[in-house]
Amino acid sequence: MNGYAGKFLEVDLTTGAVAGFSLEEARLKKFIGGSSLAASLYLERYNLHADPLAPESPFMVMNGPLVGSGFPGSSRFAVAAKSPQTGIWGESACGGNFGPELKKAGFDGIVITGRSSTPVILSIADGEAIIAAADKLWGKDIYEATDMLKAEDKGWKVLAIGPAGENLVRFSAIGNDKAHFIGRTGLGAVMGSKKLKAIIVRGNKSSGKCDEEKFKAVSKEALQEIKESTFAESLHLMGSDVGMDLGMMNGDVPIKNWTVGEDFELSAKLSGPTMRETYLTKAHACANCPVACKRVVAVKDGPYQTEEGPGPEYETCCTFGTLIMNYDLAAVIKANELCNRYGMDTISAGATIAMVMELYEKGIISAQTADGLVLAWGNMDTVCALLKKIACREGLGNILADGSLQAAAKLGAQGLDAVVHVKGLELPMHDPRGFHGMGLAYMMSNRGACHLQHAAMGMEQGMVSWPQLFEMKEDYQGTTSQGKAMLVFNSENYGILGNSLSICQYLMYCLKPETIRDGFNAVTGFNFEFQDLLLCGARDWTLKRGINNLLGISAKDDVLPKRILTPLSEGAAAGSVPDMQLLRDEYYAIRGLDARGVPTREKLSELGLTELINKLYT
Amino acid sequence: MSSYKGLTQEWLDAWKQKIAESKEYKEIAKDWEGSVSIIVNAAPDKNLPETAYLFTDYWHGDVRDFVLCDEARALSARFIMSGEYVRWKQVATKELDATKALMQGKLKLKGDLTYVVRNVKTINKVIDLLTEVNTIWPDEA
Repeated sequence: MNGYAGKFLEVDLTTGAVAGFSLEEARLKKFIGGSSLAASLYLERYNLHADPLAPESPFMVMNGPLVGSGFPGSSRFAVAAKSPQTGIWGESACGGNFGPELKKAGFDGIVITGRSSTPVILSIADGEAIIAAADKLWGKDIYEATDMLKAEDKGWKVLAIGPAGENLVRFSAIGNDKAHFIGRTGLGAVMGSKKLKAIIVRGNKSSGKCDEEKFKAVSKEALQEIKESTFAESLHLMGSDVGMDLGMMNGDVPIKNWTVGEDFELSAKLSGPTMRETYLTKAHACANCPVACKRVVAVKDGPYQTEEGPGPEYETCCTFGTLIMNYDLAAVIKANELCNRYGMDTISAGATIAMVMELYEKGIISAQTADGLVLAWGNMDTVCALLKKIACREGLGNILADGSLQAAAKLGAQGLDAVVHVKGLELPMHDPRGFHGMGLAYMMSNRGACHLQHAAMGMEQGMVSWPQLFEMKEDYQGTTSQGKAMLVFNSENYGILGNSLSICQYLMYCLKPETIRDGFNAVTGFNFEFQDLLLCGARDWTLKRGINNLLGISAKDDVLPKRILTPLSEGAAAGSVPDMQLLRDEYYAIRGLDARGVPTREKLSELGLTELINKLYT
Repeated sequence: MSSYKGLTQEWLDAWKQKIAESKEYKEIAKDWEGSVSIIVNAAPDKNLPETAYLFTDYWHGDVRDFVLCDEARALSARFIMSGEYVRWKQVATKELDATKALMQGKLKLKGDLTYVVRNVKTINKVIDLLTEVNTIWPDEA
């Protein structure tokens, strides 16, 4: 089948069994790929109620049909599992080069269950997979482990966990070739629970395309659109941190654990232009990407020296910068490097530290509980020390390693507004008080507060306008809730496709939707119209929602944290809070959710999710 | 309040005066250096038969040249912003944010994008002050 390798790898680490399976075309047309396909397998084949870290819970790596095709921006792959951080559906997508290499090795995805008794790696080459011992790798950080694996053969593409994943830190990440990270929802801990240190892959197969000539023409058009895109140019020059200056002006940037509305000194010191002028050594690109938004940086002197390596994204410049009142970009880069090496999500790690700094300031935790660390705002020596303690689960770090929600409960701060999360996942660094649509997207995202599984940011902040896809404005006012339910609904249905087709969301903001659709059709031959693709997006959202419903999620969980419902006194979002009830009521009606927050039978039937009907309504 | 015909020298003078009188602008723009040309593509159906070229120049919070010019001078500016008449009118009437117009490709920018991003407050302030000029647009005349 064009666009697909036609084979999925199934591994049981308890028994050491390795097998392959294929999926019928009808399922691929229904779910396309990525986390959407993973969710369909999860619902059908696995015990949803098993602990996320139990052997029987699956760990899934999934490609989409554009991966390996060479279409611009088509490097993405998804990792999915029940999240050890939130206890609900977990997923995270990544660029880099692992996905395309997995396709070349002959697989559309990998499903891993079981638990090895000793540390192992999974090695996949040209259609064959073997499980090998990894005793020498266990305990190594992600950079060290990756270097050791590549020392054998530079051609390996590596997915590896660090000490945080080994120690089951609930927001641990997975690194791809030391440069790209699967950060959110703690999926590194799922690998750690299986004693799986790394997956390495290499291959030589080329993937087929339905219409090679059309594909070439569409790819050429895509490259031209990217060349003409100011958004693409800004990403190339300044990385995702280009959003810092603009965000500070628009009320998007969270400061001091979401309590301050504006600080232009912070944004000036931590912005994309500043990084470019100070620590940037070069730009780096994922496979098949002409934009090269990734930063490569080095801090050559001072107390926060780093080796040359991947630089912080916008989110990280906030979590280790604005959120904790650190004005030193070098220190942000150091904290980013530590998280990369230990293997921790920089959003959850920084947000959890911001929370504990606030609790410390308020006297809720003592110096003794803080292990003698001075948890003052902006104290980056403490932050660096704390990151190590979290990764190794030492002292206070052992408490924080469970994420801010669970840590707050253990620290006697349960219910306090210092804990800023939705469904157990800390908010990304975009303030819903400045952009109410983002607030709704956080409330309704299936992995907890998420800024990536939809295109709400691009649409609401005006980076994109797609009148050919659905009715929308070119310029939304951020600080209003009116009309945002429809915006978020549409943004989810389209944005989700980035994951299932395996195309970078930034590239989705640079390319015309027609170009993406045509590229997809040229590869697969599915001949989908926009409405077919949007239906797949809606099906994806509803499938994952149904899984979460089965895991106990209901309307009571679709809420914003108290802090976000507290107005700021300064900045562009001053005095503004999302109208949570209005947003939710309108959204539920559009999305086809009943008052409990469960998809109606009619909606499930319309989307062809009959298995969910059986499970939710019997 | 006086009204000015849009894209005329009198209109440019009124805009320049607004900027020059703004203490907030002077503070925000204290680091800005350089000229910005605005190219408004001809729109005969909107009563703009010829492309309009505007040259505006700023230096550390002060305003210097603000003139209608020829194409050559417009192209000599440090930053060149160009686009269709209807888009410029939307920006000047606050229907469409200038940054969003740039990101959506509705206006084009030539020049150091990094500098523009760093100084985005300055640009927004200049446009905010333009919206305070009571304008009769060519298609309204």
